[in-house]
Amino acid sequence: MSILVNKKTRVVCQGITGTQATFHIRRSLDYGTNVVSGVTPGKGGEVHLGLPVFNTVKEAKAETGANASVMYVPAPYVKSAVQEAVEAELDLSVCIADGVPVKDMLEIKAMLKGAKTKFIGPNTPGIITPGQARLGIFPENIHTPGKVGIISRSSTLTYEAVIETTRAGEGQSTVIGLGDDMLIGIDFVEAVRQFQDDDETRAIIMIGQAGGTFEEEAARYYQRLERKKPLIGFVAGNAVPFGHKMGYAGDIMTNGHVSAQDKKDAMAAAGITVVEKINDIHKELSKIFALS
Amino acid sequence: MNIHEYQAKKILSRYGIKIPKGGVAYTPHEAKRVAFRSTLRGPWMLKAQIQSGARNKGYFLEKKAGKGGGIRLIKSRRDIVTEAEKMLGSTLVTVQTGPKGKLVGRLYVEAFTKVNGIFYAGLAIDRLNAALTLLVAEVVNYDISELAVRHPERILKIPLDLEGETTPEQVRQVMDFLKLPPRCAKNLEVFINGLHRAFIDNDAVMIEINPAGVTKGGEIVALDAKISFDDNALYRHQEILRLKDDYEASERELQAAKYRFNYSEFDGSVGLIVNGDGIALAAMDLLRGKGIGTACFLNVKGGVDKDKIASGIKIIMTNPRVEGILINILGGFLRCNLIADGIISAASEVGLNVPLIVRFEGTNKDEAREILEKSKLPIIMAETMEDAVNKLSDAVEENE
Repeated sequence: MSILVNKKTRVVCQGITGTQATFHIRRSLDYGTNVVSGVTPGKGGEVHLGLPVFNTVKEAKAETGANASVMYVPAPYVKSAVQEAVEAELDLSVCIADGVPVKDMLEIKAMLKGAKTKFIGPNTPGIITPGQARLGIFPENIHTPGKVGIISRSSTLTYEAVIETTRAGEGQSTVIGLGDDMLIGIDFVEAVRQFQDDDETRAIIMIGQAGGTFEEEAARYYQRLERKKPLIGFVAGNAVPFGHKMGYAGDIMTNGHVSAQDKKDAMAAAGITVVEKINDIHKELSKIFALS
Repeated sequence: MNIHEYQAKKILSRYGIKIPKGGVAYTPHEAKRVAFRSTLRGPWMLKAQIQSGARNKGYFLEKKAGKGGGIRLIKSRRDIVTEAEKMLGSTLVTVQTGPKGKLVGRLYVEAFTKVNGIFYAGLAIDRLNAALTLLVAEVVNYDISELAVRHPERILKIPLDLEGETTPEQVRQVMDFLKLPPRCAKNLEVFINGLHRAFIDNDAVMIEINPAGVTKGGEIVALDAKISFDDNALYRHQEILRLKDDYEASERELQAAKYRFNYSEFDGSVGLIVNGDGIALAAMDLLRGKGIGTACFLNVKGGVDKDKIASGIKIIMTNPRVEGILINILGGFLRCNLIADGIISAASEVGLNVPLIVRFEGTNKDEAREILEKSKLPIIMAETMEDAVNKLSDAVEENE
């Protein structure tokens, strides 16, 4: 088992003919991901990496049965690409690009309200279910199938968390990078909920980041759960002095609580095992798996 | 991207928002001219144009600037030039600038506006609910920074649409909340609508009027103004990009920005090169655990061009604070071999005279290690981030 993607997921790549898409889709195909088609407006009818290319996501869905998309389109085109994915009623859409304007994300979040499509990103390494499906830019060679679910707002720390599971002798059920932009699609609450419901996942790792209140919300959600899977949390940013800032609106939005320590306190109070060093995660994992 | 008060006021006045009469001045005599153009009788306000809040509660590092803060009320004509002389060319420190402060190179000079009441108005993004939100608060007895932390319930929050259409109902809500007299109604509507439109039209991420004043006649005047724009949307706002003040950033920050890298400077001694902010923060935490401070970090993000990466690495190598460099790359999008090539090219140009610890993981890491080994440069390879931090700590100690 896994969450959101597995070997049955039929993937269409939005922006497939681009350089980065070509590099990563080839690797995803080699990994065994069930990529069935690609979309590049104006290049419909071509064949790329052995896959049929369509002008629209709707066509790709109708012709190849795609139910999830991974997009490598540049930031200015993300809004229209998401709109296509939503209108085609895909189950999932993953956006790698960084630099998506906040206003575009506000509009995207409005589009997603009540829509069938779940959205991951932007500015994320994507999602990978080891041995089954890779949607994004994960270095696949560090992953092994297993029982630990990983959720992270930081791309690079996601990889650190994966390496920690390996050090503990465990693998990963699914790894999701939420993205660390101001506004994101799926958040910690949704991801924790999915891992709680997944039979295969026995423990969860959550990597937060200073700024916003996504971690606090997840802590509140976790605290209310009756049957809790073990959750290990880490938040980077203790050593950073508050940088130059302008104005108070940000403080108002979070009631003044934005530091890494605020987040760690909220997580610990909710029963999450908070580690001070990311390289300590494997020790906590070993304890969890030794018990069961 | 942030802009100065005088620039923000100019933009907002185009949306119908009332601002006191005034202008920007770069010299004391220009300050006098602008002051007289605003009002002949005074009083006047001299306001340091640095991008920070709480300027009035700030202090100057230089003695010549006197005891006053960054915002001064001038009552007599002859004081305009002397006060402007004190402030210009001095360094203002506020709670938001950090201890180094910011150099004041220009003043905003405006006519003092007599008001009967003041309030705070802000527009910001509610990240959790993905909504543009209007924030309003009374700030007569409390500072907004205090309210934010201690009495968040005393701040009115209203979600606004993305079309820039404030509804009459929303304006009424603000009227009631601030208990404004009926004669303010029309002016408040113009004020809120103006903020809302300015935010949407210009891809702002924050607009703050702290405070807005209410005059005897019921006018709403923006006594101060701050706007932050979305860096990611500047490509569609060339006119805003022109407002950027390069004096607010250091030389190395500007260079890094040219290549679209994230670069931050601190007070420590280690230079970090990473490909994610998260990993930079985690490494800084580990370094601090060893009693080592960070001088700067460079996040090359998904940079794919070898020459750009070499230029980025040079920024770190040429920072005089740096006594040791830690490169921690977890290749995904970014291929490790490009970083290896970049290290060699940068080292051949500017030399490598401090310890360099490198840790590669992920995409093309073996290839990257091989490139570095062949180069015969004195580079120490590490397995994990913690290992890298330990090795760096040992190397820096040995070097001393």
